[in-house]
Amino acid sequence: MKRLYQRLLEFAPLFMFMVVLAFFGAQSSRFLEPRNLVNILVQASSTGIVAVGMTFVLLTAGVDLSVGAIMFVAAAVAGKMALAGLSLPFSLLAMLVVGWLVSAFNALFIARLRVPAFIVTLATLFIGRGLGLWITETRAMNLPDSFLQFGSARFLSVPVPAWLFGMAVVLAHLVLTHTSFGRQIFAVGHDAEMARKAGIRTEMVMAKVYLISGTCAAVAALVTLGQLGAVSPKFGEQKEFAAIAAAVLGGTSLFGGRGNVLPGTLLGAVLIQTIENGLVMTNANPYLYPMITSVVIFVAVFFESLRNRVSRPFSA
Amino acid sequence: MKTIRHAILASFSILCLVGCSKPDSTGNAPNGARKITVGVAFETLQTEYWVAGFEAIKTELSKLDIAMVEAVADSDASRQLQQVKGFITRGVDGIILVPKDAKTCIPMIRAANEAQIPIVLFNRPADKTDAISTAIVADNAKLTQETVAYMVDQARKIGSKHKAVVVLGDLGDINAIGRRDGFEAAIKGNENIIEVVSRVPSEWNQEKAQAGVANALQANPDIDFIFTSSDFLFPSITSALKAVGRYKKIGEKGHVILGGFDGDATAYQMLVDGYLDATGVQDVYFEAKSAVQALIDMREGKKLPQLIIDPGFVIHQGNLKESSPRMWGANIKKKG
Repeated sequence: MKRLYQRLLEFAPLFMFMVVLAFFGAQSSRFLEPRNLVNILVQASSTGIVAVGMTFVLLTAGVDLSVGAIMFVAAAVAGKMALAGLSLPFSLLAMLVVGWLVSAFNALFIARLRVPAFIVTLATLFIGRGLGLWITETRAMNLPDSFLQFGSARFLSVPVPAWLFGMAVVLAHLVLTHTSFGRQIFAVGHDAEMARKAGIRTEMVMAKVYLISGTCAAVAALVTLGQLGAVSPKFGEQKEFAAIAAAVLGGTSLFGGRGNVLPGTLLGAVLIQTIENGLVMTNANPYLYPMITSVVIFVAVFFESLRNRVSRPFSA
Repeated sequence: MKTIRHAILASFSILCLVGCSKPDSTGNAPNGARKITVGVAFETLQTEYWVAGFEAIKTELSKLDIAMVEAVADSDASRQLQQVKGFITRGVDGIILVPKDAKTCIPMIRAANEAQIPIVLFNRPADKTDAISTAIVADNAKLTQETVAYMVDQARKIGSKHKAVVVLGDLGDINAIGRRDGFEAAIKGNENIIEVVSRVPSEWNQEKAQAGVANALQANPDIDFIFTSSDFLFPSITSALKAVGRYKKIGEKGHVILGGFDGDATAYQMLVDGYLDATGVQDVYFEAKSAVQALIDMREGKKLPQLIIDPGFVIHQGNLKESSPRMWGANIKKKG
């Protein structure tokens, strides 16, 4: 009986997703059309990719508050380059380099110098947003149509942002479940000191997860640019919270050592976007949006805490 | 190794401290007389409008040879309170404040009142209070109503019933609420021409606006009337329209009637290119001049009304040439 209860709780995010789909499907005939479902996937791509990177960090009991700022700086640099006439591939490469540089800075202070991740990434959040504002001079940059064309391009009838999201999810899932590095991440998240005594180079593991998170943020910036075709001073703002919410909704623990990308983070990111999509499709009262989204997040976290209690009956 | 680690940590700490402080400037007149100093505290400088407002205030103060100290709160009301208290401690002669919202500014106004320092609110008024201040504000509701009324007229000329989307701002922002009310007031009585099929809350976030408009277009592919509560969301709207092949110039078949609020550089370019029907322009130059004048009047003991209204104006294809010199976004665009 207990095992069944545990099993039900494990699938709680999936059940919630199905309930949300059924509810909005009943409200609007267009909601379940394949075109709208692809639409949801595309709109969830940017947050989803950041959330994949964030899952790696959360699994080590860390946090990366700088992802939104990385997106902003990367987009600002790419925007400047594009407006200066450089070709799209150069701009895209520059975005990745920005992601690596900022996350290498995070990794140095967190893994090597043992400064708490919260402090380091909070600092890089402010430094990054300041740097982005300086680069853009607080002006909106409307980019060449090549960015929008990239965002709306399709491969095998599926939009490129959805492909990138899918690839990030599958790759992350394989790394976490089929490599020794993946197992080391979970070990560090469970108990870093024990992992170190067991011979795991915890510093290296920690450094790598922040580099992965920064890379994901840069790719997410690319996806967002492809959808907006513009960089505003608010680009990527509060993306860190959306990414953490998506990962936690998918069952990743804020305390490390437990969670998964497939289906967890994928479902978390898509669930939030599905709710927002459904509310617009049904012309809901705008004041209901934050309330309904918060209730769903609360219910998901509640199920998560129940699952914790069932799986650890003797913990305090 | 330990020394290197300590050195890096020390540098990082210094970097953080430097990053948290704000530059300021003050000084004395060349003849040694004490120069008037005004503290200018902005909630944020994260949109073109706020930057244009900040620059306009700076220009007005410098015209009158008034020194300025500045602070930006990065959307943190408690930080802004400390910044205002800092201004008071250093003895500024007046404060111009862009508060985060209508309520959190009241303790700041009270603190200035207690120190007998005049305080003027720029573009965002305070809630009802007995604390004394003057606010220079655009009449968001009226200006939006005029803009949307122009759009409705365009729809009426076309003839068929139009399906409309309104992109709302942050529902906690009094200016956004004013614009929403202005939109609803303009639509009221014109339901035979306009049917509002979607109200998209953007929280002033471009991604949410883009997703919201794309979703609305998915639910109602025949939408042909969109109003945004701020021009800075236009890139999101045009992106969503382009994705479904609906971004057309005025007069072209399938054109979506577009309107906005603010008067930024993107809106100006869209007007010039013939995609945008109208936008309500906040007269940032009027607001800056009025804010500085109000401070001077308050210092001289004159009693001012609680609100000084910026009437703003609607710019559209019919008056673009004569009105664009007053449009702050046009001036930004022309300066490059």
